[in-house]
Amino acid sequence: MGAFIDARTVPSGTVVHADLAIVGGGPAGISLALALANTKLKVVLLESGGMAFDAKTQSLYDGSKVGAPYVTLEASRLRYLGGSSNHWGGWCRPLDAVDFEERAWMPYSGWPITKADLDRHFVKAHELCEAGTLYYDGAAKITGSIGQPLALGTGGLMTRWFQFSKMRSSVLPTHFGERYASDLKKVSRLAVYLWANVTRLGLNPSGTYVRQLDVATLDGKKFKVRAKACVLAAGGIEVARLLLASNDVIKTGAGNSHDMVGRFFADHPVPRDNAVLVLFGGEPAPFYLGNQTTHGAILRAGLFPSEHFRREHEVMASSITVEGKVELDALGKAAVATTANALGVDASSASFHSLGCGMEITPDPDRRLTLTNERDALGMPKLKLHMRLADQDFAKYRLTLKELGRQLLESRIGMLKLNLRTRDEWYASLDWGNHHMGTTRMSVDPKKGVVDANLKVHGVANLYVAGSSVFPTYGAANPTVNLLALVLRLADHLKEELP
Amino acid sequence: MKTVSRRQTLWLGGSAAVLVAGGVGGRLLLRKRYAPTPYDDLIALAHDRDAAAQIGETVLAEVDDFEPIAMAVRLRARIAGRPLATALTDDVAKGHLVEGGGWVLPEMLGLICALAAKAAG
Repeated sequence: MGAFIDARTVPSGTVVHADLAIVGGGPAGISLALALANTKLKVVLLESGGMAFDAKTQSLYDGSKVGAPYVTLEASRLRYLGGSSNHWGGWCRPLDAVDFEERAWMPYSGWPITKADLDRHFVKAHELCEAGTLYYDGAAKITGSIGQPLALGTGGLMTRWFQFSKMRSSVLPTHFGERYASDLKKVSRLAVYLWANVTRLGLNPSGTYVRQLDVATLDGKKFKVRAKACVLAAGGIEVARLLLASNDVIKTGAGNSHDMVGRFFADHPVPRDNAVLVLFGGEPAPFYLGNQTTHGAILRAGLFPSEHFRREHEVMASSITVEGKVELDALGKAAVATTANALGVDASSASFHSLGCGMEITPDPDRRLTLTNERDALGMPKLKLHMRLADQDFAKYRLTLKELGRQLLESRIGMLKLNLRTRDEWYASLDWGNHHMGTTRMSVDPKKGVVDANLKVHGVANLYVAGSSVFPTYGAANPTVNLLALVLRLADHLKEELP
Repeated sequence: MKTVSRRQTLWLGGSAAVLVAGGVGGRLLLRKRYAPTPYDDLIALAHDRDAAAQIGETVLAEVDDFEPIAMAVRLRARIAGRPLATALTDDVAKGHLVEGGGWVLPEMLGLICALAAKAAG
């Protein structure tokens, strides 16, 4: 039987030996441990928190931020078993093939792997998310009894689908810690250490190999873990912090010879109420407005720019969602009545809905995490986030929205109002996906990325990263199911690499 | 049962006729009057001239060098005698759009509204 061990009971000075050490017990760490369950590998999983929220542990995330508006570093993630899956929304959608490509209009784009390299892992990744059969772009075939997709005709945007994670029929979505704790306990060669904070990666003198992990508890215990290989799975912010803070051998930090760790921080901006959707004929199908369960899957439709439109107009990915009803002002009523009459359609039962969105942003090396002189309760340096947003990213999303407006008019089913134009207006509307990406980006070139195509840290022979911090670009899909596919691919690699 | 005399009936009927005529006439009197323009034929394509003028004000804020007479000539050529709905959807298919107060409008419709705004002074 596997064991859950309270690290506070481990005597200081203890050295724990393993084949593989996983740092972080969120979806990535848990899924990797489960994927290696049937191997002979002795695995140690080190989780900073316990089985539930603890304020002192959570405060280890405290940091600062400057620049464009963003949520506090402490607020957007959770530090206990299950990690941020303890507050995620359960939205799932695989990235598109184009998201992996190098695109001339998007600086720093291009993954060292393709979508095809991940495709075979999505079924298992979906299973881990308890998101049912993969329907996605085939979902229209099973939702006919609920309603019909908008007849947008030809053009840049199309209806596509999200699927949702669920744990039980009444509990949505899957909280990985709670859901998989019993499965982890069944893994015979796995030890899960709770309340175990990794504070340093102890490198060999040349900085090319992790010899040990320094572990500390908030009540003062200190011990070490020595493993043949280590996987950092502590989230897009904390992985960068641990690498940067492990700077006793390489002054810029472990795996950071080329000053790439912590750069390219990204998230999905979620501008609320960014447009008004008018449908002349009445309400959209229910699957646009909220989750619908059918054929064992929980589905919701959104409006996405096609690959062709993205290439032709050099726009980023975005996922537009239809939100709550809105009232029109006098100008809006005049615009709808005048336009519908001119198009020869009846708008007497028109509906009016706000639009939301998840936006992709351009990779930016100066949107980054750096260490500060402040220390947390364990003596680790705190982080500062330098947040930046390009006006061009909002302009490109606005272009996408305008195309949706064009399609509605051409098909004579509705029209659109764009609510946001200036930077201040966009900033005032901003919410965030809390999808921390990019800080240990993947690249075959050590000068352009932190990890290689196998997620191994460049220049450090036995150190890997699992999670959305390895995404070089971000798409508009929610990252969890995608990072799990990467984790499952990493598990296959580790099975071959580790004796 | 109380009966209504012929005189009362005539008085009630006459009063009703005066009220109806007064109402209609009042609305006509209160309605904004526009001086004739050389492009009234285009403005007439909008079903509500006041609403069109309201939209047109926001369109004018988005377009540069709007000269009504020349614009009217160009619009007539673009419509080319087709039904407005057909002309608009063809135009939109080519990506010809204009914004007015954030509303994404068929360009020709927005420009017709702008003419209405110009005519409204």
